[in-house]
Amino acid sequence: MPLIYKNIQPYLNTHQNKASRLLSYFGLCVGVVLLLCSVQLYININQLLKDKDPKRNGYDFIPVTKTITNENMTDDNRFTMAEIGDLKKQAFIDDIAPSVANQFKLRASAGSLLPFSTDLFAEALDEKFIDTVPPSFFWKEGQLDVPIILSADFLEMYNVFALGQDLPQFSAATITNINLVLECYGPGGTQQYRGHIVALSDRINSIIVPENFMQMANQKFAGISNVPASRIYLKTKDANNTALLNFLSTKNYHINKDKTRFGRIKQILQGIVSGLGGFGVLVILLAMAIFAFYLQLMIARSKENLQLLLTLGYSPAWLSKTVAKKLIPVYVTVIVVAVVITALLHVAFKYNVQGIGDVLPIYIHWIIVVIAAALIMLSAYINYRMIVKLLLKLQ
Amino acid sequence: MQISLQKVVPSFIEEEKVSSSQIWNQAVVFNAGEKIQIVAPSGSGKTSLIHFLYGLRKDYDGTINYDGNNISNYTAEDFAAQRQQFISIVFQDMRLFPEQTVLQNIEVKQQLQPYHTENKIAAMAARLGIANKLHMLCKNCSYGEQQRIAIIRALQQPFKFLLLDEPFSHLDEANRKKAMELMEEEANARNAAIILADLKAIEYFKADKTLLLTTQ
Repeated sequence: MPLIYKNIQPYLNTHQNKASRLLSYFGLCVGVVLLLCSVQLYININQLLKDKDPKRNGYDFIPVTKTITNENMTDDNRFTMAEIGDLKKQAFIDDIAPSVANQFKLRASAGSLLPFSTDLFAEALDEKFIDTVPPSFFWKEGQLDVPIILSADFLEMYNVFALGQDLPQFSAATITNINLVLECYGPGGTQQYRGHIVALSDRINSIIVPENFMQMANQKFAGISNVPASRIYLKTKDANNTALLNFLSTKNYHINKDKTRFGRIKQILQGIVSGLGGFGVLVILLAMAIFAFYLQLMIARSKENLQLLLTLGYSPAWLSKTVAKKLIPVYVTVIVVAVVITALLHVAFKYNVQGIGDVLPIYIHWIIVVIAAALIMLSAYINYRMIVKLLLKLQ
Repeated sequence: MQISLQKVVPSFIEEEKVSSSQIWNQAVVFNAGEKIQIVAPSGSGKTSLIHFLYGLRKDYDGTINYDGNNISNYTAEDFAAQRQQFISIVFQDMRLFPEQTVLQNIEVKQQLQPYHTENKIAAMAARLGIANKLHMLCKNCSYGEQQRIAIIRALQQPFKFLLLDEPFSHLDEANRKKAMELMEEEANARNAAIILADLKAIEYFKADKTLLLTTQ
């Protein structure tokens, strides 16, 4: 007669309370489905919004200006060195680049090629913050050719209005072939330069010239050196960081909320899905609590038999392990069913929600399987500990 | 193996019973192979002593050692190991599974440490006159039959000490002798000690020494 569960089963009152046992299995299945589905949805959302993520290399680059109100509109709303220093100190800001604006008059025309002439503004900032910097974006003292990086949005805007003004439309490729005449003038004199658009930028919504050119021109034409920054570019890991948004709001700094729109949508969706996941965990806990009651009842009803087995020399650890092991196949079945339901729901999500079919893979993410395996092991361990505890109480 | 008692006094017993005892508050040593008879009237702590020795109760002062190890430091697992290999017991109140058959009750020990063959079990049952009861539910057996089942169950494992707590209280003279004979044979085969606690000395038990739990 070997020492196996079958031989001690007659001493355990396992057949009663079938309803509470089945209810706990059902609850566990529902809880695990909720948890696994929320993890899968979380992964799906990240996958779906990845391409529209404004981040590059894991960072957000966001321009910050001071909010102009009726009260402060007559003040100098540029950033002081102290304010720049304060921004640098914040843990949620990885780097900053002050942007210097032109302090002189700047007029651009297309020379004899097009009947086009306009007053312009320009900015200069650290190249590290610009997404597209070709080698030709370079200026040295005395050079009359000035490279320009233009916001892609500006080109789009130009093209919208060009036809109405009898101007030709330009593609991104052809715009780099247009030579502009840049006329800089101010108290310090007048000078014409040849402007070349060398690249378009998706990140910087402005007209960018090299920093040393801006420094020279501000000094030469406006007689001003060390111009305070009117706008600051921030490099941060997460533009939706609450601490960052609160800090900017306290300082009365303004950011373009549209820049982080996808991040915000993602954040909201992730919040909802996390809530769903949290609810799943609660349901799992509830199911485990029901199962704990079932175990308690089974052990209470078998109390005298179990006490006698322990008195006769049965090891509490062996008894607990043996009873807990009997429950493992049940847990494996329940959790595998939950994984299958999650996989089916994922496939339904992929094929029934419009426009996402190509982005998502047909299979559930491997992490779902890992979580399911972890849940099986956790359930077995919790049961074992619970049975050991209940048995030791009997002695 | 050796079981020793150092000044063991139950926390509930009267002082006069302790002062006249050859066990309580004394240094006593039991060795494997010895036959010890403990005699005492009702209410003098026989069952308590057997339970103390088996590790079921701890409401005493002093120390009880298995091979020099204080059993008050033993865990439930330690006791389980001792009860599988070294110590067996026949309880006064039998402690059987009433809803199981006689055979199942005997085999419950056999599962822990298989010792005797099925034929040997059948032979033991025949010797004590319960061969035809093996497949009956235990609750349907008489007290005398249940006592014999408990005795046979206690012999289904290796042991160095066999503790007997009034094991014959429901048996007639003839069956007492048969049961005693069987237990002595089994103990001798294992070179094991028998510690028998009863109301009076049992003449057919060949005890090496007889100790009085109390003379009061």
